[in-house]
This record gives sequence, C-alpha cells and structure tokens, in this order.
Amino acid sequence: MPSETADSLHGDAVIAARDLVKRYGTLTALDGPSFTVAQGEIFGILGPNGAGKTTLVEILEGLTPVTSGTASVLGIEVTERPQDVKARIGVQLQASSYHQYLTLREILELFGSFYPRRADPIELLRRVHLADRADSRMRTLSGGMKQRFSIVAALVNEPEVVFFDEPTAGLDPDARRDLWEIVRSVRASGATVVLTTHYMEEAEALCDHVAFMNQGRMVAFDTPQGLIRRLDAPYRLTLTTARPLAEADVRGIPSALDIVQEQTADGFVVRLRAQTAPSVATALTTLAASAGTEVIDLAVQPGTLEDVFLAVTGRGLNG
Amino acid sequence: MRTLLGASLKMVLRDKQAIFWALAFPMIFLGVFRLFSFGNAETTDVILVADTRTQAGAALSEALGRVDFLKVRLEPGMTEADALNELTADHADVALLLMPSTTPGQPARAELIDAIGDPVGSAVATAAIRSVVDGTNLALTGVPRAIELTARSASVERTTYFQFLAPGIIGMGLMTFATISLAGSLSRYREEGVLRRIRATPLPPWRFFSSVLGAHILVSLMQVIVLAIVAQLLGGRVFNGGIWLILVAVYGTVIFLNIGVIIAGRVHGRGAVEGAANAITMPMMFLSGSFFPVSSLPAAVQPIVALLPLTHMLNAMRALALDHESILEQWPELLIMTAWVVGTLLLARWSFQYRDV
Repeated sequence: MPSETADSLHGDAVIAARDLVKRYGTLTALDGPSFTVAQGEIFGILGPNGAGKTTLVEILEGLTPVTSGTASVLGIEVTERPQDVKARIGVQLQASSYHQYLTLREILELFGSFYPRRADPIELLRRVHLADRADSRMRTLSGGMKQRFSIVAALVNEPEVVFFDEPTAGLDPDARRDLWEIVRSVRASGATVVLTTHYMEEAEALCDHVAFMNQGRMVAFDTPQGLIRRLDAPYRLTLTTARPLAEADVRGIPSALDIVQEQTADGFVVRLRAQTAPSVATALTTLAASAGTEVIDLAVQPGTLEDVFLAVTGRGLNG
Repeated sequence: MRTLLGASLKMVLRDKQAIFWALAFPMIFLGVFRLFSFGNAETTDVILVADTRTQAGAALSEALGRVDFLKVRLEPGMTEADALNELTADHADVALLLMPSTTPGQPARAELIDAIGDPVGSAVATAAIRSVVDGTNLALTGVPRAIELTARSASVERTTYFQFLAPGIIGMGLMTFATISLAGSLSRYREEGVLRRIRATPLPPWRFFSSVLGAHILVSLMQVIVLAIVAQLLGGRVFNGGIWLILVAVYGTVIFLNIGVIIAGRVHGRGAVEGAANAITMPMMFLSGSFFPVSSLPAAVQPIVALLPLTHMLNAMRALALDHESILEQWPELLIMTAWVVGTLLLARWSFQYRDV
C-alpha cells in the first residue's frame, strides 16, 4: 500500500509535523513522519507496540526533544516554546500516575492551578462517573477508575488539543464504550483529539483520520474508509452449500483471492476475498445453482482496519 | 503557588512513614535515653531504722529530713537482715540503723550500711550522713560549737547527659526525616510517573521543586518545635536556645534536603534510594556527636568529624542551648553550614535531571 502524507490537507491545521526524527543512541525510534491534523478532528495513530506512537505524541506534547525535524501545535513551534504549547493542550500519558495521598478533587484543583483556564473538578469527575469518589484518595481507586480519571485530568484546562495515549488499554468493553463517548464529547466541545490505540475497532469507531506507524515510519495515512477501500481485496465472502462445488469452477471466478474450500459441520464451505462484493456473490450463487446444490448460507463481510493493519505491517497485532 | 504548596504539604503529612521518621523515631530516642538517664543518682534513698519516741531517734530523723538529696524512709521496727534485703533488692541506697543504748549512760550505737556502687556517690552520701549524725550529737549534748559552717551553692549549672543529648537527637531527627523522606518521595514521584505527568503541564520545574522543598521545610519547622517541647518536658534545656536554635536547626535541614534530592537524582529504585539515604545519615549520626561528645571519638576520624555538616549544626545548637552563647558567636559554624547549603544545592541541581523523567 502506498504511503501518503497529509500535506495536501487544508490550511487550518492545528498540528503540523515535518520529518520528525528521534534517535536514542543507535536506536531510531521515529524515522521521519510528516503529517497535519485539522481543527476539530479525531486523529488516530495506530501501529504495533514499539512502532513509535508514544514517542511521536510525546514530541508533540513537548515532553521529548526531537533529534531533527519540526513540529508545531496550535501554530507554536513545540521544540522552541514547549511551555506555551503545554498551557493549551491536555495530556493523558500512558505510564504515569497521580499523587497517591491526594483525593481526586485535590489533584484536579492542583493541576488546574498550573493553568490560566480551569474546569470545575466535580463537573469533570461527573463526566467519567467518579463524582462520588471526589474525596477518595488516588491510591484507593481500581485500575479502570484510574484510567477514567486520567482522561478527565487531561481536560482540567479546557484544552484546545487533547492527546490520549492508549486511553482504553485494559478497560472492559462497557467502560471502553463510555470512554468513546467522552472522546466524542471532547471533540463536540470544539477540541481536536489525537489518540493512539491498538484497538482497530476503536480507531474505526472514533477517528476521522488515521495514521499507521511501523518501525518508526508512517506507513499509511487516510480516513479509515479510504484505507479500507484501498485494500486489494477488502471483502470476505463465505458460501456454505449442501454439496461441494468444483474447485476449478471456484478458481475461475474473476478477482477472487485467497480461496479456501473445506467441509465443516454446517456443510461445504468456500471462503474467499474479493475487491468488490456484488459480482463475486452473484458468481458464487450462480455456481451453486448450476451445480444443483442448495445454498445454506452466504455471508459478506466488509474490510476492516485490521485488514489494513495486516497489509501495512505484514504481521498480526501484538506480533 | 498556595495550592501547590498545600498539595505538597498534604503529601508529606499523609505519608505515615514520613511522619514516623519525622516525629516517632526521634521521640523514641528521647524517651529511651531519658529512661536510662541518671536521674536516680540525684537523690539517695535512706532507710532509717530508729525509734522516733527516743530523743536521739527523733532528732536524727528530723535532721536527715532536712538534707534535700536524701529521701528518708522511716522503718522503726525493721531488723538489720530486712534492711540488708531492701538494699540488695535496690529499694534503697543506704540504711542507717540506730540501736538504743542497752545501759544508761552509754551512747546509742548507729550503723551505716551503704549499697551505692558508684564510689563518688557512696563517699558523698556517707559523708553527708556522718555530718548529720555528728551535728545531731552536738545538738543533743549541748557542746558549744567552735566553728559554725554554713554552705551555699555557687549556682553553677551542671549539664546533665540528657540535656547534652537533646539537641543531638533533635538534629538527628531533622536529618533522617529530611534526607530519607525527600529522597523517598522524589524517587516515588519519578517511578510512579507523577513527575512525568507534571512535566506535561506548563508548571516551571523550579516551582515544583520549591513547593516540595518548602513543604519539607515547614514540616521540619513543626518537627523541631514538637521535639523541643518534648525534650524540654523530659528535662532538657533546649528552650534556652530560643528562636535561634530553631532557625539554626531548620537552616541545617536545608542541607539534608539537598542531600535527599541528590540521592533521588543519582540512585534509582526505591529500595536502593532508602539504602543510600540510610548509608549517609547513619554514620553521620554517630560521627557528628548526636549521642556522645565528638571529643570522645578517635583522633583518626576527627578530620571527617570536622567536615560533616551535622557536627556544626549540633555545635551551634548546643552552644545556644547549653552554654548561653549568642547567635553571633556561632559564625564559624554558620559559615561552614552555608558552604554546605550552597554546595549541596548546586550538586542537587546537577544531579536531578527534571527533563529526563
């Protein structure tokens, strides 16, 4: 799949990164990504562990200095004026925590005091259903509660850009969906959101644009649907019949890829991938009709970001 | 800034371990040393076996009672064997047995049994009782005195061991709390990612560090006041040092706080940090005269002793509390302490790399 940068995007970019390189000794953590993020969008940075996602966002947050390249956030050069950037962004870090002996309210008041603009602590806690824990100390919270808290702690200064680094890691599906709502509400309030994740469904559900990272490079950039459309064979078709189809006939279907035929408890199954669904589905049912066998089931699944991931990284998640 | 300082203060005060080092640890030392202390040597317990219905018994009992350092217990019916038992059981130091004369005209016999281990104490107590007996003899026989001796005390203040010790324990408590608690909490902040999260905000690093140091200085101030009151109640003379003693103590604490920052910056891993803090404070505690005068240490270590900051802090505190010296007379100690404050501050700045967390 061809790599593409987002330089072509419109001018009201709140984040612009150009040729970012970060080396730790001989290790190159980040190898030259360039991209822009538009005002008010949710921008997803995807990729396997160690791809450079966290390094990339921490450069944008002003936490990590670059080896070379430039990055601007809200029109401010991060490398030159990191403090000014920090004042206007919200940050949820992957490996961080808060003062163990302070209560949630105290921590939000404390962090609020670092900024000129600050949100009401109780209002923030209500957004993640932690209002009743306002006076509990940090150390008494469960893992999921801490995660939710770290999300609202990033909103304490009513930021214009919010960075979430793996915000739903380790959460159960319910809590994850709650967090998606919060991320959407942050965007609805006018902020731009940058999030890293390795849950592809999350990126698909939330992101306007996604960038795939692999080994420090940005290997793909587009809208989720745009990336899926550009797959060679995004659709999966599964046909189940009472009697087997002739192998040669199935192989004769134009544009069918990765064909597998097998016998299962349900019947004889043909699995394949295709560029377009309707013509291949028609071809399959026509084959079954001409073979005189009953069609038990025909399933068509669209492509997902997971397929994109496999295509651009050449391996499975967490691989 | 007030919110930040308040939060830092709460972080220290809610940390039970920190408060243990700050207060309980030195208080245990004060209490233990007070128990050992030699308060009992100040009075001598006397068993007087005498019949106070006799003229001699009554006069002797009355004369002994007037000596302030003798605590007299009258036991008219006690046998000599019982009295010995009492001495053996350490219920009394001395027994004086007055036996009435068996034949008229003969003097009554008295026997003094002394069970004081310390030879000086024994000599003093027996001499005192002897002179009381002699005086009683003279009074009863009516012989006029050739020399009338009156004695008064020169009002010299003698420093007891506990009074010497109290500033040492206060200094030790300040040092261990400052170094161990600050090194521990900074390394905890770093390892739990609290520092990193704070670094993601626009808070300037110097404000973060001054709030943490400021909170520890406030707790040290509270600590020295509480410990001074406890030491005073237990018989110390810390209050003589006045406000200057407190200020000198807090000033010295700044050195130990800087050392805490240096340890947290250079040593990684919580166990290792605590180990390093102990490795620095423990020897200093002994080498700087917290418990014993530094002059009692071997000559070989004296050059080290003379370099250590705690030595000079304790010298100044003791001079203020025990020797009635003024703060101005402490300038050599304060000068050396200032060198330490500046030196450790520079080293702390260099050691703790905020941008790497």
